[in-house]
Amino acid sequence: MQDKLQEVVRKLLAEGAVEYFIGYCQSSQPHRAVPCFVSDESEVEKLVWGPLCGQNLSKYVLRANELEGKVGILLKGCDTRAIVELIKQHQIERDKIVAIGVPCQGQVDGRKLEKALGVSLEQVTNVEDAGDGFLVTVGEETKKVPKEEVLLDKCFRCKHPYAFPYDVTLGEVVPFTIEADVGEYAAVEELEALPIEERRAFWRKQFERCIRCNACREACYACYCKECLFDRKMPRWLAAPPLLSENEMYHLIRAVHLAGRCIDCGECQRVCPVNIPLGSLYRKIQKDVAELFDYEAGMEMDTVPPLVNFELDDQDPFL
Amino acid sequence: MDRKKISKSDLGQWLDKIAEEYELIGPAEEDEVVQFRPVKSSSELTLDYANSLLPPKSLFFPPVEELFSYQKRGEEIKLEQTKPLEKDRVVVGIRKCDVESLLLLDKVFCEDLVDAAYKERRDRTALIGLACPTPPRAACFCTSFDIDPLSPEGTDILLRDVGEAYLVDVATEKGQELVGLAGKLFSKLTKKEAEELQPPPVDMPKMDLSELGEKLEGMWEDPLWDKLSLPCLGCGICTYVCPTCHCFDIADVGSTSDGVRYRCWDSCMYKDFALMTSGVNPRATKAERARNRYFHKFSTFPSRYGTGYACVGCGRCLVHCPGGVEITEVMQEILAKEGAGE
Amino acid sequence: MSNNIYLPSLATVKEVRPETPDTSTFVVTFDDPTLRESFTYRPGQFAELSIFGVGECPIGIASSPTWKGFLEFCVRAVGTVSNAIHDLEVGDKVGVRGPLGNSWPYEEIRGKDLLFIGGGIGLPPLRSLIRYVLDKRDDYGAVEIVYGARSPADLVYKNELKEWDERPDVDFHVTVDVGDETWDGPVGFVPPFLKQINPSPKNKVAFTCGPPIMIKLVVQALEEMGYADADIVTTLEMKMKCGVGKCGRCNIGDKYICRDGPVFSFEQLRKIPGALEV
Repeated sequence: MQDKLQEVVRKLLAEGAVEYFIGYCQSSQPHRAVPCFVSDESEVEKLVWGPLCGQNLSKYVLRANELEGKVGILLKGCDTRAIVELIKQHQIERDKIVAIGVPCQGQVDGRKLEKALGVSLEQVTNVEDAGDGFLVTVGEETKKVPKEEVLLDKCFRCKHPYAFPYDVTLGEVVPFTIEADVGEYAAVEELEALPIEERRAFWRKQFERCIRCNACREACYACYCKECLFDRKMPRWLAAPPLLSENEMYHLIRAVHLAGRCIDCGECQRVCPVNIPLGSLYRKIQKDVAELFDYEAGMEMDTVPPLVNFELDDQDPFL
Repeated sequence: MDRKKISKSDLGQWLDKIAEEYELIGPAEEDEVVQFRPVKSSSELTLDYANSLLPPKSLFFPPVEELFSYQKRGEEIKLEQTKPLEKDRVVVGIRKCDVESLLLLDKVFCEDLVDAAYKERRDRTALIGLACPTPPRAACFCTSFDIDPLSPEGTDILLRDVGEAYLVDVATEKGQELVGLAGKLFSKLTKKEAEELQPPPVDMPKMDLSELGEKLEGMWEDPLWDKLSLPCLGCGICTYVCPTCHCFDIADVGSTSDGVRYRCWDSCMYKDFALMTSGVNPRATKAERARNRYFHKFSTFPSRYGTGYACVGCGRCLVHCPGGVEITEVMQEILAKEGAGE
Repeated sequence: MSNNIYLPSLATVKEVRPETPDTSTFVVTFDDPTLRESFTYRPGQFAELSIFGVGECPIGIASSPTWKGFLEFCVRAVGTVSNAIHDLEVGDKVGVRGPLGNSWPYEEIRGKDLLFIGGGIGLPPLRSLIRYVLDKRDDYGAVEIVYGARSPADLVYKNELKEWDERPDVDFHVTVDVGDETWDGPVGFVPPFLKQINPSPKNKVAFTCGPPIMIKLVVQALEEMGYADADIVTTLEMKMKCGVGKCGRCNIGDKYICRDGPVFSFEQLRKIPGALEV
């Protein structure tokens, strides 16, 4: 798969079809793949593909708006949901992107892997897909770890638009399925089951840890506003210091702004340096949108996100 | 150098004695994140850890800090300064890289116009360092900055793990005072022990950085900065987890009649960090902000304060960057450039 | 300043003088009588003005240190804090943190002939030095002032301009970009106006302050006229917060504009990469 990918990219660059290609490459730390911007054929051999490529690279396509030509990008099925929404929300034109689809059998959650192995993540030198598990190499030893122990949360509920118009596919791109006793909204339902005071206490404890680094916002494909609400000075909506009151409002407002647009990519949770389970918060918003509007972001090219749409015969029971 | 020994099983007792007189602060895990925080007992500590998420600079230059509160009644305004510290403190478990970072931050906050709150926290906090294990974290590269993870310099006491016990290097009078709180738990080393009990050297690849600053200075217009701006998300995590970063914001929270003026961390990587109210932005592009960061660490900080490079090789930025930017790779790229004289 | 470098001193607004549609002069005195007596500063320094609950804003001290007991600030209403300052009335309180920054080289220029070139709201920082020099007139040589603004209404210190025009020991020139029916003086931008006047660089130090584009063209003009970079001095503007060289915001090269500046000569600026792009 990796060889096929490199071949395709080499061809794209040789033909001048893209200004650069966005994919994954090995970092100096063997246990994770990082975003890679390849503009020259000599760099193509850096590109990798495997179970350590969970990051959603879609937001980087927005850079193409500043370029004359196109950018190429490697997309897992789940990542295409972001592209679909970016196109629907008029942030990029389809013809600015050369989309290469890659079949995916689940991606590893670094934090879960560390727990499962009981060793520091950086001792992992290789991870390979082996069907029902991952072959993980730590030092000299390779062992098989069952997928359900280390998959990213979103992989348990893998879904993506069948009809996404890839330019090239490296294989058949279908949703990944796994037999695991995990409900669609398991983490959310667990929290919903708590009495409200406990729920509030839970989130307050999380938001107290927040340092307002804004990484969740920068990593999120849907946060593309040229001037974010929270950066406005006149008027100033949130004070800069990371006090609980401000942090709470930051996260709740951002969650509501994402309603109908969140594609469950989990980037926000992955990048959070203080381990706030933002995934659960946004999953709750997704659940509400699904129940209220029967809508899931990024699944269809021709539907309009419910909160940026109105019909003349919309119900407005609150007026 | 006064070297003693304390068994691992006795360490907790000593630290608990310290906790009776001082505010004891050390690495503690919560929700799978290790942070430095005050503990009531040594049992809350996690000394078996790589490094904390937020650097212990947060104990001296906190993420949020009250400068003063204000109150307006009629025509009169009252300003009330906030005390920086209640009790004297002892920090245990701090790594040498983070200790070195404090020595660099001292230059910023304790020289010229003195930041009194920072200085008070430094003066009233003792440091019990914890030497790093071997092998260290893969992301670590402190030795490239000539930092010795096994040297007690900068600490009051340095603990070095030698299996069943810790070697205790007492570096200052304050350190002696702390040891004295539970003197019976410490033993002198026998001649044999002194020879044999040596913690293994902390092995990590060492980069030759002697030309880094000079080469960087010739790279003001280099395409490297545009290249870096591609993966960079401008999220600011690198600056928040960095032990030598010191940018901050000052903001009032409250109404015009009651409130507090806070100081809080800020990041030069944010688009509007240097944005002027007139709309002019001296560092409007990501490339310029990336360039500013690297120049600050490897050129302008050393030149302004007369220090070595303002990086201690802790590797936090490398581990946490969502875009995979690695400072070590950037340094290698700079070093690989042709020098001025070539 | 108190021991706490972030703690402002309280002062009361004594007078508010509108200068232009968006700019006013605020005259303040410290509440603490000892501070009122003892507060000193050098021409070119600035202070951080506080409106509690809104924030702080760095403003150049526009008065001369030869005037005792009060400070003058000329503030344009452009942001949150400056707009809040414009809501102040006589008797209201502000915080003042200062004096901050370096100063104009008022000692080194003794005996020299001085040329001041200001544009719009760039005049107040120059004015601190101008008034200082006029108060110590014998220490300095010739004084020539070239000032311009967008329109007659945008001229700052209108009454003082008249005063300078009438003084025999000051050579005064004023222009506006666009005139109106009240204006019968020269019309045109400051840089070409300056070239017309063509002041000689001999024994001269030039001080300039104004919009970045004006400074750029003025410096070009001065260099064409033979001025050395070391004899062209300006005061820079950057976003500031702490004002004491610690928060990392206002740096150019290894200099902090709030601490090593805001006054710099062009000789200094040419040595700092990126300084002249600011």
